Amino acid sequence: MRKNKLLNRKRSGGGYMLSRVADSVFWMARYMERTNGMLRILRTNYISSQDEVKDFSWQPLLLSHSDAPAEEVTSIGNNSAKVLQHLLFERNNGASVINNITRARENARAVQDHITKEVWQCLNDYYHLIRSKHIQSQLQQGDPVSALDALIHHGMLYHGTVDITMARGEAFNYLNIGKFLERAILTADMLNIKLTELNYNLQQPKEVPALRYLLYSLSGYELYLKTHRGNFQADHVLQQILYNNNFPHSVAYCLGQLFRYFQRLETESLPESYKQLEFLIGRAMNNVRYSSIRPSESEHLKEFLQQTRSELFNIAAAFNQYYFGNS
Amino acid sequence: MEGHPLLGNYHNQPRVWDEMFDAAGIRPAYQQFVSSIQDLSVDEMTHKDELAKKLFMSQGITFTVYSSGEGIEKIFPFDIVPRILEAAEWKHIEAGIKQRLKALNIFLKDIYNQQFIINDGIVPAKLIYSCPNFVRQMVNVNVPFDIYTHISGIDLIRDHDGTYYVLEDNLRTPSGVSYMLENRSITYRIFPDLLPKNNVRSVKDYPDLLLKNLVALANRQKSDPTVVLLTPGIYNSAYFEHTTLARLMGIELVEGSDLVVDNHRVYMKTTTGLKQVDVIYRRVDDDFIDPLVFRPDSMLGVPGIYGAYRTGHVAIVNAMGNGVADDKAVYAFVPDMIRYYLNEEPILKNVPTYQLADPDNRKLVFKNMDQMVIKRTNESGGYGMLIGSAATEKEMKAFRVAIEEDPRSFIAQPIISLSSAPCYINGVLQPRRVDLRPYALYGPEGIDIVPGGLTRVALKEGSLVVNSSQGGGSKDTWVLASPNPSAGGA
Repeated sequence: MRKNKLLNRKRSGGGYMLSRVADSVFWMARYMERTNGMLRILRTNYISSQDEVKDFSWQPLLLSHSDAPAEEVTSIGNNSAKVLQHLLFERNNGASVINNITRARENARAVQDHITKEVWQCLNDYYHLIRSKHIQSQLQQGDPVSALDALIHHGMLYHGTVDITMARGEAFNYLNIGKFLERAILTADMLNIKLTELNYNLQQPKEVPALRYLLYSLSGYELYLKTHRGNFQADHVLQQILYNNNFPHSVAYCLGQLFRYFQRLETESLPESYKQLEFLIGRAMNNVRYSSIRPSESEHLKEFLQQTRSELFNIAAAFNQYYFGNS
Repeated sequence: MEGHPLLGNYHNQPRVWDEMFDAAGIRPAYQQFVSSIQDLSVDEMTHKDELAKKLFMSQGITFTVYSSGEGIEKIFPFDIVPRILEAAEWKHIEAGIKQRLKALNIFLKDIYNQQFIINDGIVPAKLIYSCPNFVRQMVNVNVPFDIYTHISGIDLIRDHDGTYYVLEDNLRTPSGVSYMLENRSITYRIFPDLLPKNNVRSVKDYPDLLLKNLVALANRQKSDPTVVLLTPGIYNSAYFEHTTLARLMGIELVEGSDLVVDNHRVYMKTTTGLKQVDVIYRRVDDDFIDPLVFRPDSMLGVPGIYGAYRTGHVAIVNAMGNGVADDKAVYAFVPDMIRYYLNEEPILKNVPTYQLADPDNRKLVFKNMDQMVIKRTNESGGYGMLIGSAATEKEMKAFRVAIEEDPRSFIAQPIISLSSAPCYINGVLQPRRVDLRPYALYGPEGIDIVPGGLTRVALKEGSLVVNSSQGGGSKDTWVLASPNPSAGGA
C-alpha cells in the first residue's frame, strides 16, 4: 500500500511544484469559478428584470460587482443592456467577466506546463469567445440570454476538460482548492446581497421572490423543489444554501470539498504549513457545521455570514503565506 | 502546368533561384506535392489557408505585442505551401553544419582557455578583445564535456545558382524551433495524407533529443536530475516557445524569481521548500542572467548563478560567452577555423565578408555601397542593417558617418539574392524570398540535427529581410527520406 502511494506520488511529479505555479493554478481556478458564478447571477437577474418583479433594481449587483466610481455606476441605472455591457465587457471595471477570463487565461499561460494542453486551449478559446463581435452583438441587439448561455456553456466545457484530462496531482488539488474556496465565498456573498436587499427581514407575510432567484443563480432550484415539494419557506432556503451536503453550492459542501482536496496535499507539504491550514479550514468547517441559523434571528444571521466570510478570506491568506511563498 | 488554376500564373524572377521551379519545370522534390494540389480550386486553397490561421489562433500559438494596456494577440504568419528539400540536399547541409559546429565549439573552448588560434596568428587578438560579447568571466571556466554550443540555429541562404551559404550561426539562444514543430502539426491538418505520401522525415524527436542532452549534463550522481527551462516570463515574445518546449520535455518552466542561489548551488522555490536544480536551459541572454556579474539592473536573472555555474554545481545551456563566435566580424574567420582546427575544407560557404576596421576594405565598400549589405557586428534580428540596393542617399550617408566613427562594429557583405519559394498570398501563388534555419543539438554523444527546420519567408514582395520582427513569416520545411519515387516518370 505504502509503496503504491510513493509510486503514485512520483508519477504525478509530486514535490516539484513551484510556489509561483501553485499560486497561479489556484487563482486560475478562482477566476473561472467567479466567472461562472457571475454569469449565472447575470442570467437570473436579467430574466427577473424582464419578468414579474415590479421594482427590480440592478443597483445591488452593480455595487458588488463593479469597481467603477459610484457616480458611473449610478448613471448606468436600470438599463439592462448597459448593465450587462458594464458587468460583462467593460475593461475599466476590474471585476467584469471579461477581466476575470483574461486573468484566468494569463494565469493559465504562466503555468501551461502544469495544466494539460486541452485545458489551456479551452481557456484560450474562452478568451477569444468573449472578445468575439458575435457575442457582443448578440447581447446588445439579439437575445442576451443566448449570449449568456453560450458563455456559461463554455465555462462548463472548461470544468469537463479539467475533469477528464488533468492528472490527479498537485495541480489538480490546487485547482479544486481554488474552485471550492471561491465558490464558498460566492455563495456567502450572494446570500448576503439578497438578504441585504430584504433588510435581513425574512419574516414577511408573503413569499419573497428574491429567494427563488437566489436558488436559480446557485443552480439549486430544482433540488429545492424536489426536497420540499413546492413548500416555499425562507428557513428551508437558508438550510439548503448553508448546510445541505448534497447541494454542490452550499457553504458546508464547499468547505468539505476544500478540506478533502487540501488533505491530499499532506505528503507534499511542509508539516508546519499543513498544520496551519488544517487548523483554519477545520475551524471554518466546524463553525458552519455546528451553527444553527433561524430566519427569525436576523442579527445572528448577519453576524454568522460575516464571520464565515472572514474565515474564508483567512484561509486564502494562509495559502498565500504558507504555500505560495508570498508574505 | 498551363491551365491549372494555381500554377498557371507563377513567374520566376530573373537571377533568383526558385525552390520549386527551374527553367524546365517543377523540380523533382516538389513533383509529388504539386500533383496533389494542382487541381485544387482557389476556394479550396483559401479554405486551407483560413483553417491554418484558425488553428494557430485557437491553439494559442501566438505572441502578444504589448503596447498599451491589453496586448494584441498576433500569430506568426504561416504560409501553407511547404518548402521541400531532397535527401541529397539535406545530407550536404547536415554534413556542413556538423563540421562548422565542431570547429566553432573548439574555437570557444580555445578562445576562453589557451588561445592557440590567436598565438598561431589565425585570428587577430585585437578582434577578440574588442568584441563586446567576449565575456572575460568565462576565461578558464570548465564547462561540462567542453560543450558550449548545445543548441544552435544556423541560418542558410541560397544564391542565384542554388549554392548554400551560411549567413549566421546563432550560437546563443536561437528561437523558432517550436514553430518547426507546430508548423508540421498544422500541415497534417490542412493537407491530409500528404506527409506520408511524400515520405517526409519526422521532426518530432527534437524534444527527446534535447532532453537527453540536458540530462546528460547533470553533475550530481543522481538518476533523475532536475532540469528546468528559465524564461524571462510571459511578456517575452518567445514565451509560447518556452512553454511548448517545457511541456514537450516534461520539465519545469521557471522564472528568475523562482530560483535562489545558496552556497553556489541553485534551488527552486516549491510548495515543499527548496529543491536543487542541476541543469538550466536558459532563454535569458548573458547580459541579464546574473545581476551580480553582468547588468546590475536586470530583474530577469538570478543573483549568484554565475558563481554556481563556474564552480560546476549547475550546468547552463547554452554556455555563457558564446556571443564572441556570433560576432559578424569573427564570423568571417569561420572557414579559417575549420581549416585550422579540423584540417578540412569547409563544406558550406561563408558569405564573403569585409571587415570595415581595415581601411582598404572601407574604401572598397564605400565605393560600391549600392551593392553591399552593411551590418552591425553585434546585432541580430534584422536590426542595424543597411541594404545598399534599397537605401536612400541619406541613409547611406548616416551609415558612412557611423562606420568612420567606429569601424570595428561594422562589416559589409555583397548582396546575396536569396532563393524564392512559392507562397499562397491573396489567392495566388507568388514567389517570396526564403532562408532556412535547421536546429542542431550538440550533446556528449555528438551532434544531432533534426531533419527539417524553420523556413522563414519575407512576405513583402521583393523584400530580402525574413526576420519575424521585420514582417517575416514561416513555412513548414519538409526533408524527404529518399529520392522522390515519381521523379523519373513525370
